[in-house]
Amino acid sequence: MRLTVNGRNHDVDAAPDTALLYVLRNDLQLNGPKYGCGLGECGACAVLIDGVAARSCVIPIEGCANRDIVTLEGLGTRECPDPVQDAFIREQAAQCGYCLNGMIITTKALLARNATPSEQEVLEALRYNLCRCGAHIEIIRAAMRAAGHTLEARD
Amino acid sequence: MADAEQGKRGSLSVVRSAVLGAEGAFETFVSITADGSVNAYNGHVDLGTGIRTALGQIVAEELDVSFARVVVILGDTAVVPNQGATIASETIQITAVPLRKAAAQARHFLIARAAERLELPVEDLTIEDGLIRGHDNRSISYGELIADETIRLELTDDVPVKDVSAYSIVGRSVPRVDLPAKATGEPVYVHDVRVPGMLHGRVVRPPYAGVDAGPFVGTSLIAVDEASVRDIPGLVAVVRIGDFVGVVAEREENAIKAAAQLKVTWKPGPALTDLSNIERALRANPSTPRQLIDKGDVDAAIAAAAKPMQRTYVWPYQMHGSIGPSCAVADYDSATIRVWSGTQNPHILRGDLALLIERPESEIELIRLEAAGCYGRNCADDVSADALLLSRAVGRPVRVQLTREQEHAWEPKGTAQLMDVNGGLNADGSVAGYDFSTRYPSNGAPTLALLLTGRIAPTPAVFEMGDRTAIPPYDYENLRVVANDMPPIVRASWLRGVSALPNTFAHECYIDELAAEAEVDPIEYRLRYLKDKRAIDLVNAVAERAGWTPRPVRQEPEPEGDIVRGRGFAYALYVHSKFPGYGAAWSAWIADVAVNKATGDVSVTRVVAGQDSGLMINPEGVRHQIEGNVIQSTSRALMEEVSFERGAVTAREWGAYPIIKFPELPKIDVLMLPRQDQPPLGVGESASVPSAAAIANAIYDATGVRFRELPFTPERIVKGLHGEQPAAALAPPPQPVQRNKWQNPFVKRGGILAGAAALCAAAIGIGAAVLPWRAIAPITRTDASVFSAATIARGKELAALGACAVCHTADNGVLNAGGRPLETPFGTIYATNITPDVATGIGAWSYPAFERAMREGIHRDGRHLYPAFPYTHFARASDADLQALYAYLIAQAPVRAETPPNALAFPFNLRPLLAGWNALFHQPDTFRPDPSKSEVWNRGAYLIEGLGHCSACHSPRNALGAEQQRAYLAGGFAEGWEAPALTSLSKAPIPWSENELYAYLRTGQSRLHGVAAGPMAPVVKELAALPDQDIRAMAVYLASFNEPADRPAHEALVAKLEAGTAVTGAASAGARTYQGACAVCHEVGGPPLFGSRPSLALNSNLHSDVPDNLIQVILHGIAKPAVTDLGYMPAFKDSMTDSQVAELVGFLRRQFAPGKPEWTGVAATVGRIRQTIAR
Repeated sequence: MRLTVNGRNHDVDAAPDTALLYVLRNDLQLNGPKYGCGLGECGACAVLIDGVAARSCVIPIEGCANRDIVTLEGLGTRECPDPVQDAFIREQAAQCGYCLNGMIITTKALLARNATPSEQEVLEALRYNLCRCGAHIEIIRAAMRAAGHTLEARD
Repeated sequence: MADAEQGKRGSLSVVRSAVLGAEGAFETFVSITADGSVNAYNGHVDLGTGIRTALGQIVAEELDVSFARVVVILGDTAVVPNQGATIASETIQITAVPLRKAAAQARHFLIARAAERLELPVEDLTIEDGLIRGHDNRSISYGELIADETIRLELTDDVPVKDVSAYSIVGRSVPRVDLPAKATGEPVYVHDVRVPGMLHGRVVRPPYAGVDAGPFVGTSLIAVDEASVRDIPGLVAVVRIGDFVGVVAEREENAIKAAAQLKVTWKPGPALTDLSNIERALRANPSTPRQLIDKGDVDAAIAAAAKPMQRTYVWPYQMHGSIGPSCAVADYDSATIRVWSGTQNPHILRGDLALLIERPESEIELIRLEAAGCYGRNCADDVSADALLLSRAVGRPVRVQLTREQEHAWEPKGTAQLMDVNGGLNADGSVAGYDFSTRYPSNGAPTLALLLTGRIAPTPAVFEMGDRTAIPPYDYENLRVVANDMPPIVRASWLRGVSALPNTFAHECYIDELAAEAEVDPIEYRLRYLKDKRAIDLVNAVAERAGWTPRPVRQEPEPEGDIVRGRGFAYALYVHSKFPGYGAAWSAWIADVAVNKATGDVSVTRVVAGQDSGLMINPEGVRHQIEGNVIQSTSRALMEEVSFERGAVTAREWGAYPIIKFPELPKIDVLMLPRQDQPPLGVGESASVPSAAAIANAIYDATGVRFRELPFTPERIVKGLHGEQPAAALAPPPQPVQRNKWQNPFVKRGGILAGAAALCAAAIGIGAAVLPWRAIAPITRTDASVFSAATIARGKELAALGACAVCHTADNGVLNAGGRPLETPFGTIYATNITPDVATGIGAWSYPAFERAMREGIHRDGRHLYPAFPYTHFARASDADLQALYAYLIAQAPVRAETPPNALAFPFNLRPLLAGWNALFHQPDTFRPDPSKSEVWNRGAYLIEGLGHCSACHSPRNALGAEQQRAYLAGGFAEGWEAPALTSLSKAPIPWSENELYAYLRTGQSRLHGVAAGPMAPVVKELAALPDQDIRAMAVYLASFNEPADRPAHEALVAKLEAGTAVTGAASAGARTYQGACAVCHEVGGPPLFGSRPSLALNSNLHSDVPDNLIQVILHGIAKPAVTDLGYMPAFKDSMTDSQVAELVGFLRRQFAPGKPEWTGVAATVGRIRQTIAR
């Protein structure tokens, strides 16, 4: 199987029904997408497939042929982060950070289809991404910052 | 860095003799190396709260170095001090104390040494980022002072630390050090550990899900069938020790497959405690009363009360619910046994691991890495032990991650709790007495592998943990508090707020009730009994911030439609650790709620959360903790409750255990009192503690009804307001399956079989008259080169039309090589090999033999073929088409593959009977066009009636399995799936039209009906080979059996159906499952995700007379869609119980097909379909 991940082609020796998540983590040694539920419920495993958010835990690699897959690593690096990553870092939008991958990817996908979402649209876009620590407030601020909104300073 | 420091190897460390370990062993708190870098060591770990950052600030401050220079090392047993488990918000308050002193001590030592070197008095020196400077501008760095020396200072207790007024790093907000790595996918978590040669393991847990005490624990395994996983590629081992079962494979997905596939036999389930009524279960659990305080004369005071008030408060079992299931890597084979873990208590776990594998602790190194937040204790320890056992078994490093289902089922729960308050009011409205009793099942939760392997006995231990904040913060004159210590019922551990949160729920609701009875404003009433100055300041500050208006008597709120609004207050000083314990931060809440009196939905719209945390090391970090606590505890109060069936945990995914979602968040206003002159206090839990009471008090303010049991679900609210159980919450009782008669051929039913046998016997006479059939002589394989490429290509299309490969290819088998079992009511028939292999396929078949099989259902050797092979349709094909099909099949590569013998019961195993069947039901005529119809219609008819054989599934069959001609395309059953009616008898809310049929057959999806699933998915996949005009012809033909399409009317109906069925609430378990598991891909208007977004309101399956297809797709998912663009649906069979699926199915039917009657016998159908194999 040939997969295109973060702009590079990878030939992967795995069964076609293998979930993309395991190939990304184990064969490609990527850390961004994470196993959270295996049912597409929580969003921790999110990646972009052809620019749309996708839950890599429920998509087998046979469904990914000839598609453009982008993971958290493909957005940017610590030295040169994507604007969405940068917004999340600046807003300190995580506690444990396990859900952070899904939050960033989902925000990235949102901004790709709606460059200036309202707060309500941000809430709805993130509805199916679960965070257990309660970092939601900062996550919303990060998404709003990434969307170019000016944020109120916090006392 | 100064050049002089280059190459120096010395260090300065501040140490303390180890509490445990060998003579002379010591623990290091701070070390500074000659290059000027600083390492700080702490025995606690960062559970996502940011203590790594806060501890770095403390060390940088006391050492007078920049924050960036300090590296904080947490939880690695080889290097960090043993400071116990990371619990009770005590890292900053307790375990940071020696670290601060150690840093101060190092600074004192270094500045004294500098004074000596520079020959200046200490008072004349200043320090900036580790550089000590005299007033004469001479300077010397820490590194230079250390140079090549190894300096070890014994930590002293009386070392002076900085005055708060001198702080420049502590008390300022510092960005978390860990976030850039986490936001960019650098390896951070234990989940990211990759060791050379690492294998992947998974465990299989016993059926007594979530229960860890009782004689059945560790003794319930009967057998593990290793043969059941023999086909898994790269399987390394199946490991069994007592009730511990695990598998190890080279690749992770194969370990997952093996764990799911492994056949394990367990003893019948033990009788577990019935937890359907928590109050009853906790009262029945044996307990030992432990009196914590007895002040005044409580009994006399209550006896004399003017208004006695006895109340009971109930807290449910709840989950930590870590977003990442626990993971660990163990390497048993190295010289030192190494375990990479996300544990909360590295040293304690190391002890457990040593016990587990019977090796000394000193041989085990436990390396702590970050993990998903856990707010207490999740399965991090369990999985570490699992990994170690598996690594020991295979002698290689093994990574194990628990499944979501295992984490949910087996995580030690936040325990249920029961609080009884007896008391009342005096005539003057003062509190007469307060007699408080709390029942808290214990929370020891030994590391699971110790229990499962039998290393320790599964004897329930009783701990004194129910007493946290059991004494109310109010100065009641007559006060008695008793903690009833009891063994666990369900595996439990501390969860944020431990017993303090439920105890405070009772204290703060009760005082609210007292105030209401006394007709005094609830805040004012509290202040009468609150003596703690800082508490009073906080309460007043929060009331002011929220704009609290005194409410001595509840006012009925002005309703906004069904919505009423209310406001509630609660306060707590979280007193934790061993009784009498000590206080963490003070916290107070004012919660605003909106209650929908019709639906019972409660939303918390705003929370003002005030906190006095003493000195805040990192104020932004404190704010995050407050917000996190507010959000999480609001979630716990509103919706969280572990579900059980027969005493075992059944909530195994986020639909069964919902947590708060973004749109449900309250607005949060955080008020942090400036107390930088006071000692720092734990902030990890305090803001949770007033939550449930503040919300309950607000619901009372809104509705006038007191709710004393969590969670405040819509069902509970509706019941409280209207005194009735909403019908939606009740699952219908299981009833026997009823089916229409025509569905019977593919359902096993004894009566029908008997009838069929009788008819078959009658048919023998007819059959005998037309026998015998002769064999057609075998040929040596036909040379495919006699066929033109165009003929072969046309044949390939026809094979796709006939979907030959769908039946003639086994799962994971070679194309057309046969072997797929076809379950029929008459037994199992195996599809044959139709590749041109001479011995096992059709290589020896001449065209006449092939044609006879296709038209008459006779094997080349003269045997009758079973009509599972649809020759009754194929007979309609033209000669040219059959020749092309033959050409294609013969041109394939031959594959040698024996077809397994059929397994049919008598008399169906008698092939000659089929002659009679054919005489009754088969008309071997080719297709004759209907001149009254269009050419395109006739083309469609030819394709559909002939090779397409659509009615083979979509028409009902009679008792002998023949299609009922009078009910053509009126719906049938195949492979456990309903093949719905394609005519105007369709149950779908919107009739089929040519365009929708075309879309469905071409793309696998009709927006107005749904996506192809089950046996239809591969059919559509095959049809991809056909040209558009053939698909269009099929659509035209099929559409002619429906009313003419009225597109505007359809569109209007779509809008009406979708708007009318939008899911806004979650008023039943089924609705919550939908919200948690289904809505992400199915709610209309939800955020786009890869794949299709089928609208359930329009879906044929929701509107059918039978729930089979819906249940099929929920249990088995869609692993092989017609085209990958449609996306995939996961299978939920291993994540939901039969009754959970039945509740979901019931909800989906009520919600999305509101005009249709409820399905009956759903639970039984779920049980039956669970046994079938996924298509």
